[in-house]
Amino acid sequence: MGGKTDVWQGTLALMVLRTLETMGPQHGYGLARRIEQTSGDRLQLNYGTLYPALLKLEQEGYVRSNWGTSVNNRKAKFYELTRAGEKRARKAAKEWEKTTEILARFLARPEEV
Amino acid sequence: MRGLRALWMRLRSGRYAQADFEAELQSHLDLHTEEGVRAGLTPEEARRAALIRLGGAEQTRQAYRERASLPWLEILQHDTRYALRGFRRNPLFTVTAVITLALGIGATTAVFTVVDRILFRAPPYADPDRLVSVGLTAPIIPQEFVLGAWYYQWRDHPSPFASLTSEAGEYPCDLTERNPAHLNCVSVEASFLSTLGVPPILGRNFLAEEDRPNGPKAALISYGLWTSHYGRDPGVVNRVIDIDGAQVRIVGVLASDFEMPALEHADVLVPQAVDESTAGADRVMFGFARLKPGITAAQAAEQLKPQLDYALSKVPARFRSEVHLRVRSVRDRQMQDARQSAWVLLGAVLAVLLIACANVGSLLLTRSSTREREQAVRSALGASRGRLVSQALVESLLLSILGTLTGGVIAEGLLRLFLAIAPSGMPFLQGARLDLRIAGFTILVGLACGVAFGLIPAFNRPRSIAFAARTPPTSVGAVARKFMVAAQIAVTMVLLAGAALLVRSFSNLQTQPLGIQTRGVVTARVSLNRYRFTTPQSRMQFFVQAEAALRKLPGVSAVGLSDSVPPGDDRRDHIYSIMEVAGRPPMSGATGGMVAWRWATPDYFKILGIPIVRGRGFAEEQRASSEHFMILSNSLASRLFAGQDPIGKHVKPVPGGPWFTVLGVAANVKNSGLGEEDAPEYYQLWRAVAEDWQQPHSAVLLVKTAVAPRALAPWIRTQIGAVDATVPVDVQTLNERVGKLADRPRFETALLSFFAFTGLVMAVIGLYGVMAYRAAQRTQEIGVRMALGARRPDILRLVLLEGAHLIVIGTSIGLVAALALSRVLKSLLFNIGPRDPLSYAVVTVTLATVALLATLLPARRAASVEPSEALRAE
Repeated sequence: MGGKTDVWQGTLALMVLRTLETMGPQHGYGLARRIEQTSGDRLQLNYGTLYPALLKLEQEGYVRSNWGTSVNNRKAKFYELTRAGEKRARKAAKEWEKTTEILARFLARPEEV
Repeated sequence: MRGLRALWMRLRSGRYAQADFEAELQSHLDLHTEEGVRAGLTPEEARRAALIRLGGAEQTRQAYRERASLPWLEILQHDTRYALRGFRRNPLFTVTAVITLALGIGATTAVFTVVDRILFRAPPYADPDRLVSVGLTAPIIPQEFVLGAWYYQWRDHPSPFASLTSEAGEYPCDLTERNPAHLNCVSVEASFLSTLGVPPILGRNFLAEEDRPNGPKAALISYGLWTSHYGRDPGVVNRVIDIDGAQVRIVGVLASDFEMPALEHADVLVPQAVDESTAGADRVMFGFARLKPGITAAQAAEQLKPQLDYALSKVPARFRSEVHLRVRSVRDRQMQDARQSAWVLLGAVLAVLLIACANVGSLLLTRSSTREREQAVRSALGASRGRLVSQALVESLLLSILGTLTGGVIAEGLLRLFLAIAPSGMPFLQGARLDLRIAGFTILVGLACGVAFGLIPAFNRPRSIAFAARTPPTSVGAVARKFMVAAQIAVTMVLLAGAALLVRSFSNLQTQPLGIQTRGVVTARVSLNRYRFTTPQSRMQFFVQAEAALRKLPGVSAVGLSDSVPPGDDRRDHIYSIMEVAGRPPMSGATGGMVAWRWATPDYFKILGIPIVRGRGFAEEQRASSEHFMILSNSLASRLFAGQDPIGKHVKPVPGGPWFTVLGVAANVKNSGLGEEDAPEYYQLWRAVAEDWQQPHSAVLLVKTAVAPRALAPWIRTQIGAVDATVPVDVQTLNERVGKLADRPRFETALLSFFAFTGLVMAVIGLYGVMAYRAAQRTQEIGVRMALGARRPDILRLVLLEGAHLIVIGTSIGLVAALALSRVLKSLLFNIGPRDPLSYAVVTVTLATVALLATLLPARRAASVEPSEALRAE
């Protein structure tokens, strides 16, 4: 388990949580597409990595899943946030904002500091 | 919390999750394909694109599976199952390895539990490492002692001690109240408990005024007495009780783990109440002190040197040259010679553990090398180095666990056996329990053993050459294995040599002439209660009546009376140089060592079969005489009357005592225990006259019988009970008494022999394993040799020589080590040197023979191989 994957997984989890928070229940494929759209198609997601991340969130109790039918009448597994998941999403978003803000100060041009 | 929840979910995720995910994956691909088709792709293209974006279906499944459950746990399960299957397939290997480990671990744990209490137990005092026993040593009292004259002067001078205290030893005393009891009292100085740092659990310590002559009488009672006699009544403090007829106030109760530093049995502590100004050289006490911080026992002894000169001026002149100062820890004083056997036992058992470890190691190495090809295949099929290592680790850990569990059972069994056969002289053995710390330690050793030897082969990279038919004959593993076999033989040699010496010494002890006839003799020791038999007359009457009563028993041919029985060392003694012969000036010079003596009636010599070599024995009618008669042992007679006829001479054994007429000279008997040097001895006729019964409260009735001695025991009890029903009688045959004296050497010999035998068996197994493996490995080479014209005897010699090589190396190293180490056995040996050539010769030959036999079997098998088959063998 290298450091890179951890960071990647961490951010992916945040993206999933935020997407579910704004969009409501979603199936895996829909989530993947939605994340790509939100990133303005700048993020090329390897869809396969989404499922272990979802499973981890489910094991931790932040999301729950249920089988349902999609808009085109296909069977699909839908994920939705639990109460804990909602809290987690807000908290994680705040932490992430703080981190990026701090990082932004480091990346800013020296004269602006 | 979240992490735990996730872990729990991963633990219980089962097959259902896999099927569920399969459906989810399918649905994902369908959704993606559908969108692709809507965007204008053909279904095939769309599906392909979906798979590509997914990153491969199999990889996704793999990633999901790893997250869904705990992969390492699965691997562990898998490895465990695999290892167990391997064990089942090769039961001989498994059983050997497990038993070997179990014996090593079990024996070590049991022995360590026993010796821990002897070697490493902290005496139950505050800061026990600073407590020392202080005193002089002299021939009359083997343990260090202090004399009153010296002690009080010295206590009040500056000394290396923070505090100094004394006790005057135990003496029998009686609780003379409505529920009387026979007790042991110890008189101590008032500062005794405070110096040891053990306050009473109830009440208070002695006050200074209670330790003065004619002060208020006070007593501290033991926890045992408090429990058995007073029902743990807290109100016992301040109660007045009768001890030996005097009114004594109980001031406190001692803790349940209280023990005297010299291990006397103390029911009651009373103050010494000594008049310090008049205490002289005749007052013998035992000194204990607490060292000042930063001072060692040796430094303390050094500082006391000047005071010793002063002390010696108070000692009778004849002692001076034989007196030495000794300061040693209380623990050392308590354990004395038990330490020696404890260290020997510990050494022996560690040697067994070493052999066991080496054996398991060489077993694992052998096994791993036979599986080299399997490892190579596994590696070629994609097993990572880590997986191979973990597999090997799991296997050796499993072996260790199995061995440890079995070892625990063996340890418990051995401990019970030790306790059953242990001599009473081994302190603190009673109540020894398996110590979890010790068990934990040995388990760690076992695990370390398994892990270390499991890892060596695991890191041996499986080479491609392993696929070839021939494996190189010398690898690191092979050298290590040979080394371990040689080491096992060497350690076994040491163990066997030690055991052989002890066995020889023990048989010397058992077969030595005792000078007495032990067959058909029953002894009955009777101790009279002091509060019932208060006058010499009453004591004499009791024993004379008992003697007459025993004579009436059927099958009894003679009854004798004495106060002690050889060959034990519980007889009375005094120093030689105080003896006086009529017509000669008193002796001068050193003490001359100790002279033993005992009371005896005429039949004593007949019953024990001690011949009178000169003069005559005591006569029955002399028991009524007002004269005193004695019989000398041969050694005392030749020392007192060199070249003269002692018969009819007059001797005064102790100053102030009566003169005795020498009637005869008896042959020497063993009289100081089985292993000790005999003391010269004399016998005083025990007359039926009150004068001879001033002191003795106990005596031994000796009965010579033609019927089975054991059958007589209840009769003896009944007859003595008829004289007085209240006295306790201890009946033993003389053979049993003598047997008990050999308990200690028997214990040591039995244990060391057991360890030596265990070591021998293990070493032989190890040697056999290695030789069998080497022979199997060389099958093809042997085939080639035979094809080229080698005959079977040549092959036999070839294989045997390789084994003989190891045996010679191991035995030689072992012989040197044994010769060097056997010095520590010296004090345990009787009539045999630690370098007894016969023992070493027998052991060397035995070990070499057994070891050669262990190589002969594989060698014969190798030599019986058909060349055509051997050449085909892979």
